[in-house]
Amino acid sequence: MSATAPVSAPPVAAAGPRPHPGTSRRRSVQTAERRWGLLLAAPATLHTLLWIGVPIIVAFVLSFTAYDVINPPEFAGLENYATIFGDELFWLSVVHNVIIAGVGIPISMFLALLFAVLLNRSVPGQGIFRVMVFLPHITATVAVAMIWLWIYNPSESGLFNVLLGTFGIGPVPFLTNSDYALASVILVTIWQGIGLKMLIYLAALQGVDTQLYEAAELDGANFVQRFLKITVPMLKPATFFILVTSLIGNFQTFDLIYILTEGGPANSTSVVTYRIYQTAFQEFRMGLASAQSVILLLILVVLALLSRKIVGGTDGD
Amino acid sequence: MATDTHTPAGPAAPDGGREASLRGRRRLERTAIMMFLVVASLAMAAPFLWMALSSIRDPTELAKVPMPLIPQDPRWENFSEALSRAPFAIYARNSLILAGAAAILNVTFASACGYALAKLRFRLAPAVFGWMVACIMIPFYATVIPVFLMVRHMPLFGGNTILGTGGTGWIDTWWALIVPGAISPFMVFLFRQFYVATPTELIEAARLDGVSELGIYTRIITPLITPGLLTVALLSFEAGWNNFLWPLLVTTSDSLRVIQVGISSFRQEASTDWHLLMAGTTMAAVPMIILFLVFQRYFVQGFASSGIK
Repeated sequence: MSATAPVSAPPVAAAGPRPHPGTSRRRSVQTAERRWGLLLAAPATLHTLLWIGVPIIVAFVLSFTAYDVINPPEFAGLENYATIFGDELFWLSVVHNVIIAGVGIPISMFLALLFAVLLNRSVPGQGIFRVMVFLPHITATVAVAMIWLWIYNPSESGLFNVLLGTFGIGPVPFLTNSDYALASVILVTIWQGIGLKMLIYLAALQGVDTQLYEAAELDGANFVQRFLKITVPMLKPATFFILVTSLIGNFQTFDLIYILTEGGPANSTSVVTYRIYQTAFQEFRMGLASAQSVILLLILVVLALLSRKIVGGTDGD
Repeated sequence: MATDTHTPAGPAAPDGGREASLRGRRRLERTAIMMFLVVASLAMAAPFLWMALSSIRDPTELAKVPMPLIPQDPRWENFSEALSRAPFAIYARNSLILAGAAAILNVTFASACGYALAKLRFRLAPAVFGWMVACIMIPFYATVIPVFLMVRHMPLFGGNTILGTGGTGWIDTWWALIVPGAISPFMVFLFRQFYVATPTELIEAARLDGVSELGIYTRIITPLITPGLLTVALLSFEAGWNNFLWPLLVTTSDSLRVIQVGISSFRQEASTDWHLLMAGTTMAAVPMIILFLVFQRYFVQGFASSGIK
């Protein structure tokens, strides 16, 4: 974490050749700086210690108890972890997260890259196109899920079924058939995920030397060749970065599942966060749910460390 | 001819025929790209168009097979009807308060912390910074159960004893909605990044002029990062407006329900009245869309840096 540099920087005047006129004044400045530094940082620090630090410890402690909110928690040892180990639904939910990520992320990354490359050059209506691609990201997932619930509507008035109906197909029960439900969810995550990925790619593309393209174009390289031989290799760091942040984001999918499918039909779209929600707030098994959150945190820590390893020192400043 | 490409004057070379074919191919490429962009971005926006169209659709059209894609006769009463079926005005007001509070609290406290971390030398600074970065990585879903229990067992609130038992604590109060998520460690981090870019010499000069440390922070350095301030305010507002799980867990009464939870519960009530559901969803989505269109630049700046955690 080299990002703390400004804090450890030596006092400016100390390096000066001229003896400082008033050392006592300097000292009082330093004292004031120290005092105000602590004072200004205190509210945010104390707040996060109380509302993030304490809960993390409590979650860890609760994960070794049986707790139903009404009766006081009872120590249960490793029982919760043993339960999770044998809990097929929990691991099925993990697998769903992995499938959503495995199918959805590469597709949305590819489309995001395509949009970014096309919108990085000056085309008429560039701004409008960017906004249209980005809107799904800015809109609340609940609203987004409601819209898709309506698009997927199994009756003949759902948009997809209206369109399929003109070809004489359907109506297809997109969300109510366990064969189609997960795929339908993945389509929404792709659509919603393109915007932010495009934005990060656009930012990365600003750093690519345009002379490379000019040279390649004069050498007769067409658009596809330029894309594969210049753009893709130059964007490698951004690609790794998007991949890992998307993986982490994927394991936090909740709103979408809550509105679209409630994990169903027959648990075919249950994901980890939804499973935790059910365990805690529908079955009121707070201890078990805490253990599930600890596992989720472990998964995310592993993914975060992986990202650190892959993208190296690019985070921070 | 390949060597030509290394000199900027290359394209003006006598090779006229090749020039022309290059230009022709470029035009073709441009047309293809334009067509792709129009079709693809329309596909991206289609769900929103469908939402808008459905929100003014006459319910009798819903039963028609095949249903006309464009509503034949726009029915604006869908909005007033939705408003009468569920208190969307109250939901929107609650969301506005929640989002506004998030924006104000983050601009106040996260900026103070960010400034201290970027510009002031104090002993705990490295530890505080490390802690904030660690917090960014902790997902809300990993802490939601303890936070919920802490809120429920808040001592001396909602009929609780000093030990936090016997009542409901902060459940179904504004405290629960606003306090636990009030300060985002990510916003602290973002502010620090904004402040790091400001000139330290200005602080030194102000100190020599006898400006107080608080005065330097509020009146000299913070005005320099106004775009950053706006970015954080907008991102916090957006997160507050779009928040769902937490308000869902801690509010039960209609008078405290926020718009995203309101939409979700309206769904149970209006079940198959999709014209009303889409009118409600439009009301939940459009304010953020407008805010985004107005402040696009700041949003994009914030989102671009939020990707670079």
